[in-house]
Amino acid sequence: MGNYQAVLKDPYITSSLINTGIYAVIVVPVQTVLSMVIAYVLARKCKNRFGNFVRSALFIPVITSMVLTAAVWRLLLAGDPEGVINSIIGLFGMEPVNWLGSSWPALFSVCLIGIWKNVGYFMVIFYAGMMDIPVSLYEAATVDGAGSARQFFSVTLPLLKPITYLVVTLGTIWSFQVFDLVYTLTGGGPGRATMTLVLTIYNSAFKDFKMGYASAVSMVLLAIVLFISFLQKVVFRERDEGRRKHV
Amino acid sequence: MRHSNGKIRISKWIIYLLLIILAAASIYPFIFMILTSLTQKKIMTASFDFSAMDLRNYKNLLSGFPILTYVKNSLIVVSCACFFYVVIATLAGYAFAKKKFPLKEAVFWLYLATLMMPGQVILIPVFTIMKNLNMLNTYPSLFAVILDAFGVFLMRQFMEGIPDDLIESARIDGCGELGIFMRVILPLSKPVIVSLVVFTFITSWNDFIWPLVMITKDEMKTLTLGLSMLQNAYVSSYGLIMAGATLAFIFPFILYCILQKQFVEGIALSGIKG
Repeated sequence: MGNYQAVLKDPYITSSLINTGIYAVIVVPVQTVLSMVIAYVLARKCKNRFGNFVRSALFIPVITSMVLTAAVWRLLLAGDPEGVINSIIGLFGMEPVNWLGSSWPALFSVCLIGIWKNVGYFMVIFYAGMMDIPVSLYEAATVDGAGSARQFFSVTLPLLKPITYLVVTLGTIWSFQVFDLVYTLTGGGPGRATMTLVLTIYNSAFKDFKMGYASAVSMVLLAIVLFISFLQKVVFRERDEGRRKHV
Repeated sequence: MRHSNGKIRISKWIIYLLLIILAAASIYPFIFMILTSLTQKKIMTASFDFSAMDLRNYKNLLSGFPILTYVKNSLIVVSCACFFYVVIATLAGYAFAKKKFPLKEAVFWLYLATLMMPGQVILIPVFTIMKNLNMLNTYPSLFAVILDAFGVFLMRQFMEGIPDDLIESARIDGCGELGIFMRVILPLSKPVIVSLVVFTFITSWNDFIWPLVMITKDEMKTLTLGLSMLQNAYVSSYGLIMAGATLAFIFPFILYCILQKQFVEGIALSGIKG
């Protein structure tokens, strides 16, 4: 039990938990909404070759490794004023930022890359779900005088509920497993600004050779993942029963 | 009426513009990667001098690093992972879908429950087991970890949909158990097998954390691991790192171009995993 006491007292664990939590809180909502909206636009407004091209393009980040992605983004985020990202924000009149050299920008960069990598994946899942919605429902909504926005909120969104739960749960679980990205991009730094739970496990096991301690941190990760899955099950069931009672 | 038509057209152009920006944001980093791999840049800028481009970084990569060994290792690991995953998943999936044996449901759900356990949680126990078996720095340590319960689940779900009549009539026609599996079940399951292969290819090619802990010998490194090592050792040789990254990118990308539909399906299928 000594290991668990040490884990609970360790301020580094707390900070990597907080970082991982911030990552999840930023990445999950943004990627869920973004991928859903893109999928909706592609499925409802752009069912042509151009739409297919956009879909294929958004999927390319999904097939590449996180290591490769992080290696490329490290150069895009380079701190020089002429760097790519700094040039882009310069167009909007913003000062160049030392993205990977200071705490908050570094954590923000990690989130940004996470979203960039995941959106294509979840977009495909949403897209498949939207294709299953019968066109007649939209036609009926149009006859009833519902505009695009109304159709999205009254037809698409309710029918996509199970898929949305899946995307949110999966996204949250993935967020707590972030490793390759921070290992390659920042190594957890500057300081411990982008330290995550899995990076802590890896460092304590394979750099400090504290296997018992690292296993205790692994159990914290397992508890979190099981809790998220459990939460999803409970929310799911409640909603399901609610609907049944309604009918 | 005319006015609202104009409005629709404008909103359509705005949607197209936004989609183009999104597509560009997805593709540009890879174009940037390829272009940078052709230069000797020391400072990262958004502009490129096309007249000064050459293949020097690729030559240095081939002459100075065992990069071809990394590629070979990656290909071996990927092929073994795909082969064993398909063999195990189709056979076990068939048994769980169509055969009767005691405690079938209980065994299946227990097996499926292992998917709840993320790989990172069992990092240390699996590493310790491999170490005690003297299997560190071997190919099996890299592809064995890819073979989880997901493939079996996928195959069972699909094979349950194959009508029993087909199996029965094959049996009446004199097909043995193996014959039924090879001539009836496998051909019918082809689409889902292709999806599984594609999914396994991507997972094992891009895998990083397992090679990182299992492999210490340079001649056993995979390309993804080699790329990470290259990046840590030559932080400012941007062109060289991007040449390595391009090499790691090109294999899945070519496959993606050929098998786009199966790719999207195969990877979207993994969503069921959650």
